[in-house]
Amino acid sequence: MRKATELIEENNRKRELLNVENEKIYTDVLQYVRTDLRVGEQAAEELLMDLLDHLIEAQENGKEAQDLFGNSFEAYADELIANMPAENKRNILVLFSTGILGLAGWFALSYGIINGMISIFTPVDNEFALGSVFLILLSLILVGILGIFVIFRVIRFSVFKPKVNEWKVYVLSGLFGMVGFAFVVGVGLFFDGIGPVIQIQWWVLLLAGLVLLGINKGVSRLSIN
Amino acid sequence: MALRSQLLKGVLDACVMAVIDEQPVYGYELSQKLQKIGLPDISDGTIYPVLLRLQKNGFIKGEMKPSASGPNRKYYFLTNEGKKELEQISSEWLQIAHPVSQLLKRSEKDEKSNGVN
Repeated sequence: MRKATELIEENNRKRELLNVENEKIYTDVLQYVRTDLRVGEQAAEELLMDLLDHLIEAQENGKEAQDLFGNSFEAYADELIANMPAENKRNILVLFSTGILGLAGWFALSYGIINGMISIFTPVDNEFALGSVFLILLSLILVGILGIFVIFRVIRFSVFKPKVNEWKVYVLSGLFGMVGFAFVVGVGLFFDGIGPVIQIQWWVLLLAGLVLLGINKGVSRLSIN
Repeated sequence: MALRSQLLKGVLDACVMAVIDEQPVYGYELSQKLQKIGLPDISDGTIYPVLLRLQKNGFIKGEMKPSASGPNRKYYFLTNEGKKELEQISSEWLQIAHPVSQLLKRSEKDEKSNGVN
């Protein structure tokens, strides 16, 4: 059986075969199914591919998306989701750990690079209060998880609705991004200098970031289809 | 209405499994076959929730195969469990189908003779 990532790529290619109207409706259904966090990714992508193949063939025979999805797209998508297998617990754990590892990895990597570049011109502060770093990472994770939920919710809410609402999606997502960023910065400022302070050179951070991202890549392979 | 929808679900499942039992099919093909048999209402979209449910219960299995018309397709097969389930539903259905349709035809006639509808 093909992997979810291959199916997604094939889906992107094949979707171009749909006419404008069918593509719009199909994409709505696709977004709605993909942003349902209860549904298994592999099963979702297999179903979406089946539906796409069906729609392409139906279109060639002069049918419309309504013939496939009925008149209430949302009700139809809900019915599909209700009959789908739930995401495997192990996959949820993998997704969760890769999220955290990725976040910590990119955080260390970018911090290392920035510190490295600044150190060319002026000596940098290599002191890190471990308690504060831990709190900042914790708040980043919190904002990240909350972000996924909020953005998925917003997408699900706006899908199947007329285009008028699209700006609301952007405004809401942007607003959340700003509040989230402010929250993390706020935690950093408010809980400054907590816990033991150690010296970490910029290249150590950079290496640590690369190692974390490497582990992340390994862990992401552990999900089962 | 729960019983009614359960009944319909059972019949739908049996129809889909019976078609798959004849020959492994992909989604669009299945809908076309159901339409040809004279069941246009359970074609196209309706089959996907059914296919998902049957897969979840382990009665059918999907497998990628090159199709006659070219591209690879996911063909659905009956599993051994699915074959047993189909036999069971078929025998249950055959037991009630004839008497039920006789009964319903009779009551239809009664209604007509009573001047209702």
